[in-house]
Amino acid sequence: MSEARLVQGNEACARGALAAGCTFYGGYPITPSSEIAEHMVRLLPDAGGVFVQMEDEIASLAAVIGASLAGSKAMTATSGPGFSLMQEHIGFATMAEVPCVVVDVMRGGPSTGLPTSPSQGDVMQARWGTHGDHPAIVLAPSSVGEVFDLTVRAFNLAERFRTPVILIYDEVIGHTRESVRLPDQVEIIDRVRPAPDSVDFRPKAAGPNGVPPLPAFGDGHRFHVTGLSHDERGFPTDDGAVAGALLSRIHSKVADHEDEISAAETFMLDDAEVAFFAYGIVGRSAREAVLRVREAGIKAGLIRPTTLWPFPGRQVAVAAKQVDKVIVAEMNLGQLIGEVERAAAGQAEVVGHLRADGEPITPSELVGAVTAAGGGN
Amino acid sequence: MSRNEIRIAGAGGQGVVTAGRILAEAAILSGSNATHNQVYGPQSRGGASRSDVVIAGDEIGFPLADDIDLLVALSGEAFARYRPEVAAGGRVIVDSRCAPEAGDEVTSDFAVVDTARAVSGGQLVTGVVALGVLQAYAGLVDADALSDAVARRVPAKHREMNLEALRAGMELVNGAPA
Amino acid sequence: MADVKTYLREWAMPHVLCPGCAHGIVMRGFLAAIDQLQLDQDKVAVVAGIGCSSRIVGYIDFCTLHGTHGRAPAFASGLKLARPDLHVMVITGDGDGLAIGGNHLIHAARRNIDITVMLLNNSIYGMTGGQAAPTTPEGAVASTTPAGNTEPNFDACKLMIGAGASFVARVLAANPIEMSKVIADGVRHPGFSFIEIISDCPEYYGRYNKVGGGADMLTWMARRDAGVAVPLSEKKFVEHVPSSAVPLGMTTGVLERDIRPVFTGVRRQEPL
Repeated sequence: MSEARLVQGNEACARGALAAGCTFYGGYPITPSSEIAEHMVRLLPDAGGVFVQMEDEIASLAAVIGASLAGSKAMTATSGPGFSLMQEHIGFATMAEVPCVVVDVMRGGPSTGLPTSPSQGDVMQARWGTHGDHPAIVLAPSSVGEVFDLTVRAFNLAERFRTPVILIYDEVIGHTRESVRLPDQVEIIDRVRPAPDSVDFRPKAAGPNGVPPLPAFGDGHRFHVTGLSHDERGFPTDDGAVAGALLSRIHSKVADHEDEISAAETFMLDDAEVAFFAYGIVGRSAREAVLRVREAGIKAGLIRPTTLWPFPGRQVAVAAKQVDKVIVAEMNLGQLIGEVERAAAGQAEVVGHLRADGEPITPSELVGAVTAAGGGN
Repeated sequence: MSRNEIRIAGAGGQGVVTAGRILAEAAILSGSNATHNQVYGPQSRGGASRSDVVIAGDEIGFPLADDIDLLVALSGEAFARYRPEVAAGGRVIVDSRCAPEAGDEVTSDFAVVDTARAVSGGQLVTGVVALGVLQAYAGLVDADALSDAVARRVPAKHREMNLEALRAGMELVNGAPA
Repeated sequence: MADVKTYLREWAMPHVLCPGCAHGIVMRGFLAAIDQLQLDQDKVAVVAGIGCSSRIVGYIDFCTLHGTHGRAPAFASGLKLARPDLHVMVITGDGDGLAIGGNHLIHAARRNIDITVMLLNNSIYGMTGGQAAPTTPEGAVASTTPAGNTEPNFDACKLMIGAGASFVARVLAANPIEMSKVIADGVRHPGFSFIEIISDCPEYYGRYNKVGGGADMLTWMARRDAGVAVPLSEKKFVEHVPSSAVPLGMTTGVLERDIRPVFTGVRRQEPL
């Protein structure tokens, strides 16, 4: 552990990436994510990595995918408008199964919106932004320290499941500086590569966990990568059965490990009658609100997902059986609340505390929300 | 120490964000926990700018000011906008140029902007003068830690000027030494 | 030359290109260039976008990346920056490279990154069924310009020279030997090299504009070469090509060659 010092969320992201073994960053400037690029350009060269500022966000993720196929751990970072442009290549990386990390520091939208203000308006886009059926792994930190940890986790999941992983957090988390001790060593997972002398290598034949081993370009395996539906040789096909099997496998490699990928922290939930469901900066507000209303005798608790997708529905279902009410607090006009309702399945009343005006949801607001909702009654 | 929420607000170019960062770093050097957040508009110069600092003895839950304990307002706009968000029992430091005509018992005014101009010839050290005022007024952090944090954060060629700005700010509250 | 099959994925055949399409000639010319250069086959990476020409990468036995529409130069940039030891090449078309991917192409040229872009220009969108491209000449018929194209067309080589490409050439599919030499020259060039390869689309362009089949289009193409077309047309012993559909006198050969600093990304200068 290094000495405690004041670290900004976006800096923690860059340092987490380096700790995870990232050696390539391609990006395009956009508020409020630019500090990630500004740290990467300073940190990467000494780590033997390379930085490039591309001409737009489409090119940024394309370069990242190219670098990943060359064997590098690679990432890009952006905000809403750029995240929209990246959807094309999130789909490509999903289909071609190219590990990469995409960071979206959320600002107010739609369109140019509120460039310097926080929101949580991209959480559904992170799930369904690119076209077609596809899995999504989306992680959501609530603090500077957690930005570091989940950036490392994002790389590890990307490498393990050969898929793009999205790290998503609001502008407040990105720009807040907190006193943290960043670890010197972290657990690192690397992609599985085929044996160098493997004959009849099939780049899309499922290996362990349904994930095909991935060689680097230039290391001796000559193979084809495409966004078209393809067979185990990686070659395009319009055979429906083969295309269907490919999509099923790409879906299953995430779905089959959902319990392991999904994560939610609970706080004071054991005897709670009302539970907040909140993530990102709002998770911090809700935790504070829980402490304050408990002083007033209201039994409140918190479910704070750190994985948004796959949605931690099981944890929500367990909580819903126990509490009377779930208050979903999010900085949008209602995105994850639908998932919470589905998971709660009528076991608890689900209400929203929604805000999309560029201001963070504060603890005071949530104290008011619990009180207005009649505590747990 | 219990949780203290400080908001330093003013115009872009006054060094408000840097001042908040220095305060948070000084708090950490003093052995406390601290967070810092900035809110800013599209302008690098001019426009509204604010910095929230939370200082506490233990873990900080919500890292932004929710009920402001101490507001430092360096522009009239900042005073008007954030004065209503000051908690009951909170205090306000406002630049003399924009102090309200009808004062109130929680608001104190100091010539922060004029002092910064006298020290630097411009507005860039306004935030650091404000830190001096804040330190003499509320003493939230260790005084040596604050000087240390200023010296670490500002460019070497401006170090002396900033330390002078910090002293001048403290003297606005304490009076010049005899 | 080694047997061209050395460089082919025969198992992936038959290919999707139409009978008479000159892209096949270009593919063979490209492989001949690779053979001339005697590159390590494992160290060649070819990146393509979307369209007929981009499908070529499926059939050639290198590390091949069939990316997204227009983005091949961006994928190739990431690949080259991460693995400078690879020979990175791009096969793109006129719609892919100049319309949807124009931005990526000009920025790759501007950076002078050490990749080779081969743009196969058949003056039309073939894969999607014969729509007008940014290279379709004024007056030419396409499925989206049934009364003749009213937009001016790009001169891809002038565009690339303007964008800062340090090697720019134009060659004809009708002249495959020259094509291979120029491609090899482009690959050897340190920095960004751009080669516009005039190809054809008998299925759509040829049919819509009554130019004829594959062989007719190659003849027609050869006559458009300024080195051939201008003297021939002045002597008036060959049929004059209709000016409405064809810019007479394309300049072929190497049009720009300059040695400039090569972009390798922001990285540590000393070797690790």
